[in-house]
Amino acid sequence: MRKYEILEHKADLKIRAFGKGKEEVFLNMLLAMTESQRPEIKEKEKITRKVNVKATDLSALLVGFLSEALYLSQTNREVYSEVTFKKFSDTEIEGELTGQRVERFGEEIKAVTWHSLDILQKEDGVWQATVLFDV
Amino acid sequence: MEKKDFKKITDYLWEIPKSFRSDMKVPVRVYVTEKMLGESFRDRSLGQLVNVATLPGIVNYGLAMPDMHEGYGFPIGGVAAMDMKTGVISPGGVGYDINCGMRLLKSDYLEKDIKPHLEKLATEIQNEVPSGLGKGRKIKIDVQSINRILESGAKRLVEQGYGEKEDLENCESNGQLPQADTSCVSERAKDRGRDQVGTLGSGNHFLEVQKVGEIFDEEVAKTFGLFKDQVVIMIHTGSRGLGHQIATDYIRIMMQAMPKYNIRLPDRELAACPINSPEGKKYFSAMNCGANYAWANRQMIAHFIRKAWQNTLGEKASHLISLYDVAHNIAKIEKHLVKGKDMEVCLHRKGATRAFPPGHPEIPEKYCSVGQPVLIPGSMGTASYVLVGQKEGEGAFYSTCHGAGRMMSRHAAIRRFPGDEVVRDLKAKGILVKCRSFRGIAEEAPLAYKDVDEVVEVVHQAGLSKKVAKLVPLAVIKGE
Repeated sequence: MRKYEILEHKADLKIRAFGKGKEEVFLNMLLAMTESQRPEIKEKEKITRKVNVKATDLSALLVGFLSEALYLSQTNREVYSEVTFKKFSDTEIEGELTGQRVERFGEEIKAVTWHSLDILQKEDGVWQATVLFDV
Repeated sequence: MEKKDFKKITDYLWEIPKSFRSDMKVPVRVYVTEKMLGESFRDRSLGQLVNVATLPGIVNYGLAMPDMHEGYGFPIGGVAAMDMKTGVISPGGVGYDINCGMRLLKSDYLEKDIKPHLEKLATEIQNEVPSGLGKGRKIKIDVQSINRILESGAKRLVEQGYGEKEDLENCESNGQLPQADTSCVSERAKDRGRDQVGTLGSGNHFLEVQKVGEIFDEEVAKTFGLFKDQVVIMIHTGSRGLGHQIATDYIRIMMQAMPKYNIRLPDRELAACPINSPEGKKYFSAMNCGANYAWANRQMIAHFIRKAWQNTLGEKASHLISLYDVAHNIAKIEKHLVKGKDMEVCLHRKGATRAFPPGHPEIPEKYCSVGQPVLIPGSMGTASYVLVGQKEGEGAFYSTCHGAGRMMSRHAAIRRFPGDEVVRDLKAKGILVKCRSFRGIAEEAPLAYKDVDEVVEVVHQAGLSKKVAKLVPLAVIKGE
């Protein structure tokens, strides 16, 4: 199973991520966001950051989670490629991001948008999410 | 949606009547040629414009400019005016990059005087102006100072010596919107803005050294201080992470508040609250802070460019003067004619530029007799334009286009146009490119955009703004 794919969009960055469960689709979308920023990394040292997000539904939770990771990424100049969840429901996340310091971003993601936002479980059981990032 | 759903108003204006969809509150009008209208069915921009026409309190028409393309919620190139009493304000109608906009600096040098120094000038500008994607200057501004910038915009920087009084006179709203309340901006937004004053960003943001290639209107050009072969420098950037965070914060806040006001919308990204609600008022104050930050950002970049200019040409080189600075992502309270009466409206311009006519009280005195300068960037390596606002623009709430408008996705552009080839082609045309990565160049390849000449011709013919001068690129700088 592919972790994610980049979909066609005229001006912005549209990504579809997959996962065996909701947690994995959240992780793979985070990974897609991280890789899309094309970070230059020198220091290998791992950094962890706590994330706590509450939302009204699962798709709002995904936007909230990614927006939080983006805020942490840009203010601390880090990127995250792993996440462990202590708590995961359709309306709340408590977890820890693991990542590294960034020398430079190749691309800047401005925001996680709500446009064309989608998260669902397909008939084959695979979870799939679609998010449009403003770049 | 098909062409038959449209009524032709003029050769450059097409209308979808209100009856097209039952939830539309007003008709929509699109400023395009028949050929462009045909092409606009290729993406979802027209459907998005119809969605805009469903917003509570929208007056006259939902409008789109000829450079429109699909956005999120609102189409890019969209204009919507809301009744101040019954209408809503929508962060999606402004965009994430609050007060993304243009500034043009003019010199009294001719192209032939600059040519021998162009390489050095472009390198100096690249070194002076950080993109903000690397380590940058490592200067973090404290919270107090950020608040002063959010309150006073470009004025704050001029007070600190990063510019001149004339920069403020020649700037939309004098570079400072008064209704900016810093308590409405989250700490997270301020955090994101702390080390980004004077940074360019990535994507389609750029700096360009240009020459005046053609003058269309001698009288207006003279008033603007433009002449043939003159060297000018264009700045395109916005409010950076601070603005993006304000938009992110308030879209969430409004989405949660909408049920309270019984607002149901066809797209979540259109999230909106009544202008007079606590959420609406707070967003407006926060957005004004974001707009002020963007004006401060362009002010600081202008300061860096002036430094690069002096580093290249010497201390005695004549100064770069700001012709004008204008936003193309913003919501403002303006007076317009609605059903024959003057009415105060909250005007959303998302990827559209304000273009006030001659005599309008909100334009600098020196330009008052001819109209407001409008700055339209072309795609990389193609021409840009200086236009001027017209009385005939009344039907579009004195708004005009904002650029060429994308035609091809970034991804498709990268696949089709290798960055090194794009740079080589530009070089063959005599255009210097200073960038860190070929990828960023490929994404912005000229062929990924609509033809800016065609877009500008439409707004010129439709009377939204008149052509004054065509600017031709000499060097494109994407920031260090």
